[in-house]
Amino acid sequence: MKVSLLSRLLANYPYVAAFILFAIGIYGVIASSNLLRKLLGISIMESAIFLMFIASGNITGRGVPIVDAAKESVGYVNPLPQALILTGIVVGVSTTAFALALLVKLHKYYGTLDARIIYDKREADKH
Amino acid sequence: MSFMLVGILSALIGGVIVALLPEESQKLRRGIVLATCLLSALSVWQVAATIFSKTSPLNTLEWGIWQFRADPLALSYALIAGTLWVLTAIYSYGYMPQDPRQRSFYAFFLLSMGITLGIAFAGNLLVLYIFYELLTFSTYPLVIHRRSEEALRAGKKYIIYSLVGAGALLVAIVATGFMAGSLSFGTGAILDQTATSGKTVWLLILFVIGFGVKAALMPLHRWLPQAMVAPTPVSALLHAVAVVNAGVFGLLRVVYSVFGPDLLTKLGVRPYLLVLASFTVLAGSIVALRQDVLKKRLAYSTISQLSYMLVGAFTLSSFGLSGAIFHMLNHSIIKITLFFCAGAIEHNTGKTRVSELAGLERTLPWTFALFGIASLGMVGMLPVSAFWSKYYLMKAGLSSGNWPLLLVFIISGILNACYFFPIVIQGFLGTGPIRSTEGNKETYLMLVPCALLVVFALVLGVYPNLAWSYLVDGVVGSFF
Amino acid sequence: MIQENLPVLLVVTLLFTAYLLPIFTKRRPRIIELLVVTVECLILGGTLYLAGLIARQGRAPIIYPAGGWPAPWGIELSVGSLSILFLLMIAGVGLPVAIFATDGITWQLRSRQRVAWFFTLYLLLAAALAGLAVTNDLFNVYVFVEVATISCCALVAAKDDPLAIKAAFRYLLLATVGSGFIFAGIGLIYLVTGNLDMTFAFTELSQRAYTYPHVVRLAISFFVIGFGTKAALFPLHLWLPDAHSAALTPASAILSGLAVKGYIIALAKILYIIVGPALLQALSIDRILLLMGMVAIVAGSLLALAQDELKRRLAYSTVAQVGYIFLGLGLMNTTGLAGALFYAASHAIIKACLFLAAGAIISRTGKERVSQMAGVGREMPITMGIFTICSFALMGLPLLSGFIGKWNLLRGSIQAGSFLASLVIILGSLLCAGYLLPVIRTAYFVPAGTTTTKETSFLQISSMLILTVFVIVLGIAPGPLWNLAWQAARDLLGG
Repeated sequence: MKVSLLSRLLANYPYVAAFILFAIGIYGVIASSNLLRKLLGISIMESAIFLMFIASGNITGRGVPIVDAAKESVGYVNPLPQALILTGIVVGVSTTAFALALLVKLHKYYGTLDARIIYDKREADKH
Repeated sequence: MSFMLVGILSALIGGVIVALLPEESQKLRRGIVLATCLLSALSVWQVAATIFSKTSPLNTLEWGIWQFRADPLALSYALIAGTLWVLTAIYSYGYMPQDPRQRSFYAFFLLSMGITLGIAFAGNLLVLYIFYELLTFSTYPLVIHRRSEEALRAGKKYIIYSLVGAGALLVAIVATGFMAGSLSFGTGAILDQTATSGKTVWLLILFVIGFGVKAALMPLHRWLPQAMVAPTPVSALLHAVAVVNAGVFGLLRVVYSVFGPDLLTKLGVRPYLLVLASFTVLAGSIVALRQDVLKKRLAYSTISQLSYMLVGAFTLSSFGLSGAIFHMLNHSIIKITLFFCAGAIEHNTGKTRVSELAGLERTLPWTFALFGIASLGMVGMLPVSAFWSKYYLMKAGLSSGNWPLLLVFIISGILNACYFFPIVIQGFLGTGPIRSTEGNKETYLMLVPCALLVVFALVLGVYPNLAWSYLVDGVVGSFF
Repeated sequence: MIQENLPVLLVVTLLFTAYLLPIFTKRRPRIIELLVVTVECLILGGTLYLAGLIARQGRAPIIYPAGGWPAPWGIELSVGSLSILFLLMIAGVGLPVAIFATDGITWQLRSRQRVAWFFTLYLLLAAALAGLAVTNDLFNVYVFVEVATISCCALVAAKDDPLAIKAAFRYLLLATVGSGFIFAGIGLIYLVTGNLDMTFAFTELSQRAYTYPHVVRLAISFFVIGFGTKAALFPLHLWLPDAHSAALTPASAILSGLAVKGYIIALAKILYIIVGPALLQALSIDRILLLMGMVAIVAGSLLALAQDELKRRLAYSTVAQVGYIFLGLGLMNTTGLAGALFYAASHAIIKACLFLAAGAIISRTGKERVSQMAGVGREMPITMGIFTICSFALMGLPLLSGFIGKWNLLRGSIQAGSFLASLVIILGSLLCAGYLLPVIRTAYFVPAGTTTTKETSFLQISSMLILTVFVIVLGIAPGPLWNLAWQAARDLLGG
């Protein structure tokens, strides 16, 4: 039983990798107190999801999804997830850019990027 | 064109007009208030004339979900409220001329009148609920009128109790609509007579909570004594006549138009309901004994008397219903007189406590005389009309086989005497200024309505058939 | 040509105008505001036209393939009663709030350029929400959700002070995590069904669901968590109080009113169209939604009671009201679902108006806390009157729009057999009275010193009055909107 579980995990290595990446990302978001690291954690989480998505589109033995007469017989990998991920990457980039801009502003106001200081409850009472 | 709507709308529009008039135009405002009240009351009388002349024993009006219905039960409530509203307006002209906030007072005064008539003439549970909720909010500014700490606290309590009751009521109404498929009042009961499940009992409990708050059924009564901090016209009218009778009216509708006496008998809830109401009858009287503030004593007396009506209704017999309706009429007349007199005492001498009333009979002879006669009525003695309602209530107790009710009424009657007569007697004791101070115009305005009411109560006491054959027989006839 | 492509044009016009605005900063002063208002009016007109079209063809939705590519290869837009309802909300609430924003924003943002950017974000948000309303493709939902998220966060950050930036960053962080979950859920659905078009995915899923029950459950959970974070469903609401109280007034209004609803409607679409009522009940998702809704109502209301700052109180109130909508989503009958949709529309108008009124009061009298508000009734009579009417509507008083939603949610609860849900609805109303009535009472009845009127400007009052009139009209004559909600519920449950 243990053997078959291991062999199944090895066979689905992209998904395992995605899961591990996701866990790393979530850990970064939750455990880190530096806001920039939280942002990095989110980027890693997104990469994990992209990985899972693209891997789902892979069909063993087939080629890159660019139409080419020579490869007609071999066939193509599912192009749809790749198109979706392109969109996803762009969205991720813009979100990261926006977040970074906010971080610059936060650093200007607070002098630090430490969540414990910025999001201190007592800070809220000052306003 | 149905006069039901004229009655409701004229009061509402009058309220809006008064709200828009500037604070200073007192004469104009008084004129509008009186005119509106008269118009409304006369419309109600017009509807009554049609119904009771037997040409058309029922008057309904429908517009989508807005159903209105003038049956004898609705009219008993509407007539009482409408007519007494006019008299209260006159009384308030004597009581409140120096009040700084008359614009808001009279605006909400008139709005509440329209909403009360809306409750009376509601043709289905939804319309009843809508006006019932609105009544809470239109009477709140009247309760807190004096804007003191105490008034604001009383208002808060009033709203909390009322909203909780309204919440229970809403759930009950939705559930009824679901169980019965319709919310409209008809000649029979709304609920299916064969539906005797546990759910139906829960439904009843929700309805009792919902209407019981305004009907001051114990333990939902606690807002009422607090609300006495309002000016006397408000306490008299709203908390002895309109608002509390709305609760009683609601419960009558629940018992007769929603459930029906047969279903309730089958459910076996009658003993529990009777115990609940009887407890309030006795407990209200007992607590009244201990009150020194006159208006609070009257408040607890109201709590007790309202449950007289509820006991009558809960006996599920025709005698009980007769007693309940007639007592609603009598209690309103007498209690409002008592409150008016209390207000007159307060206005003239500034005294609010029973212990302070020593010797005031010489200063306010007419006030005390009227108060005395009214008290006789509250105790249930001839020749005041309340004797007949208590008589029929006791008869209902006997006929339905609940002889302990007889005891309840007798004990309560004795207690009533114990806390009413001392008030009058106090007035004769001790020494005080010998000249009467009742000569001024304000007191005149305050006492004339009292006198009218007391005369009416006496006349009714001698000739109960004046009201009986119309009101009581009409109501009983429509349900039994 | 315009009429045929109207569904897509609604979204595109908003997008296009959004990016057009920053060009006009140096030119004639008020052209930006004029453009915004014009566009919103156009959207309103377009929506009404579509509504008429749908009504004529028997309430069946209009299917519009984007670019002419039919599903499942292309992205399809489906404009049914639900879309019309939401588009009406966007236009009906967006227009008055935009009018309100045209007055006073310039002072607060301190430069015309920033004003232009503010309205760019505003229209972007409207575009994204409109897209969510009409799309029938799962990935399209993701794209629009992302556009909406970024515009929402940017709207919060528009007010350039530490509190707002802090709140915006937290919002962005949590919202992006939520987006991640949504994306993962989409991936899972695609894995199982091989389709991104909602109608096609449903057909596939109903066959495959029992082969992959865990994947389907996981996907649904991801969707609920993801959309729940963005819709501030308790306990995923932590970002909302800071964000909505720190933002500029029109931003708070539009965020609490529309944005939150947009995510809920997107979730409703996904759950009802792709997963389907039968599967939802089989997997007990409906009971989970019902439970989460009930918890949100009670928790949000209790938290609102504890707030002294007026805007924070209103923000927590949104958390509670979102619970009502989720409760309605979990009832699985037409009355309940229609009630939830009507409640969402009604709440959008009410909450937007409440935030606008609160903002006006705070900016004119400087009083931020409820305990300070004595005398506001005399200082700003019209604004306070509007606040009072909208508060009564939120409490569910009869004759106002909130009552219609509450009534139907109650009917739906009883029909679904959940007595507890009906009690929680009533409890929610009582708690709502508990946190709103003291504001009114303090403003009107507690004696205060100054009595000089500082009433706010004509434009601001007009915009609030428009919203209040909607509230009253919908309360007395809910007919047309109710029919829309009913049909939308029928569409969602029938398919």
